[in-house]
Amino acid sequence: MQVQPYIPAMKLFRSRKLRVEEASLPARPTLAQREAHAIDAQLASRAAAGDDSAFTTLVTRYQPAVFRWSLTFANDPDEAEDIAQEVFVRAHRRLSQYRSDGSLEAWFYAVTRRAASQMRRKAKRRTRLALSPGARPAREVYTTDPGGRVDRERATALIHEMFSNLPPRQREIFDLIDLQGLTPAEVADRTGMKPASVRANLFKARKSIRARFLATHPSYSELRK
Amino acid sequence: MTCEECLSALETESLREMTSDSAVIQHCATCPDCARVTTMVRDKEYETATVLNSLPPMSDPVTVAETAGLTDQRRRVGGVVVTLSAIAGAIVIWIVSATMVVPGLYRAGVIGGAPPPSGVRTETMQLSCLSPQQAADVIDPYIRGHNSRFYVPSSGISAITVRGTPDELAKSRDLITKFERDPNAACRATATRLRNTMEAVDGAFGDANSEPVVAPSPPTGKGPGLFGPTPGPTLLAPDKATTPPKKK
Repeated sequence: MQVQPYIPAMKLFRSRKLRVEEASLPARPTLAQREAHAIDAQLASRAAAGDDSAFTTLVTRYQPAVFRWSLTFANDPDEAEDIAQEVFVRAHRRLSQYRSDGSLEAWFYAVTRRAASQMRRKAKRRTRLALSPGARPAREVYTTDPGGRVDRERATALIHEMFSNLPPRQREIFDLIDLQGLTPAEVADRTGMKPASVRANLFKARKSIRARFLATHPSYSELRK
Repeated sequence: MTCEECLSALETESLREMTSDSAVIQHCATCPDCARVTTMVRDKEYETATVLNSLPPMSDPVTVAETAGLTDQRRRVGGVVVTLSAIAGAIVIWIVSATMVVPGLYRAGVIGGAPPPSGVRTETMQLSCLSPQQAADVIDPYIRGHNSRFYVPSSGISAITVRGTPDELAKSRDLITKFERDPNAACRATATRLRNTMEAVDGAFGDANSEPVVAPSPPTGKGPGLFGPTPGPTLLAPDKATTPPKKK
């Protein structure tokens, strides 16, 4: 009979805990990220002091990211444009509240989340107040670029196909991790959630999204039974 | 790996982390059904990520920045206007309520207890002869209204305060004036009159040589009658002679 080596259970537990904690920690910023952070902090302080050109530079730097984040919370690109515009209005007012020790990107993301959430609540109220929600005319895409128009319509269709059945939080986490490529630790840091909650929401979102595609498997329903 | 295990893995695992040597990919290489759904899921997520990540915003950043500045400025002004309007509204409401509403409610009796009935007044009457308690006894039966009352000072001041309707006040004033001006009241008696009265009393009861009072004879049924002329002197009327005075 072979004798098993003695391994204290607590040591195993500690090492596993350490690994989980290390995986949950956000990565250390690189030199480029630190330089970008310094530039952002300088631009933010100038913009907060009333420098319009600095604010325009900030908008130019962050508009694509804010628009991309807004797409997650919106139902179509036009609504995302509205959210992005609202985000910059709020940023113009509250940029003085930004503390330079944090990431401006994370600050903009928090503003985007809040603005999208408030606009969603307002939209719900309007829908409730409307006599017939179905009577609301579909949004037209006003663009002279045919390719851009097709892209936007395609994006709208994909958003509806992927996210229509998801709660906002699952939609956000799925988008950040699976579509934008962030790690769960980064998402937890950015959204203020616990890493375990992030993972749980991610699994639920994946399950909900992929069930539709997996249902085309010939034996999926039998296997699920 | 079975199809069931493959589908379970596909339900929740990250497709990005599935390398070529993973069990799912190896199973998909042998199972066309699982390979088809895996490819479908991967393509759909890849397409969604590509379309959403590459979709540019339509708005010009400069326009967005200018609009943000203008909107923010407009909201600031709007906020100031709303705040000032709220303050002005609050002041107007306070003035209106203080000058019109609250007095109206007070008059209507909604606040501040029962309203004072119209015409109720308060008057203090000076007393020169009656004591405040005597005056109170005199006017008490006439001060019976719901809000009518009188106050007897406890500090010895010779006055009484009456609160009531004009009728009650007038009645009280008349009564008090009448008793105050009564010449037979004790306080109106002069020293001479008092002395005379006392001498008269002393004369009636204090003379030791006066004749005893004789009681009338009982009626006999004969003669002139019960109160007819009787012989001999009579000091007192018959009805006052029932008890002879004691001799001192």
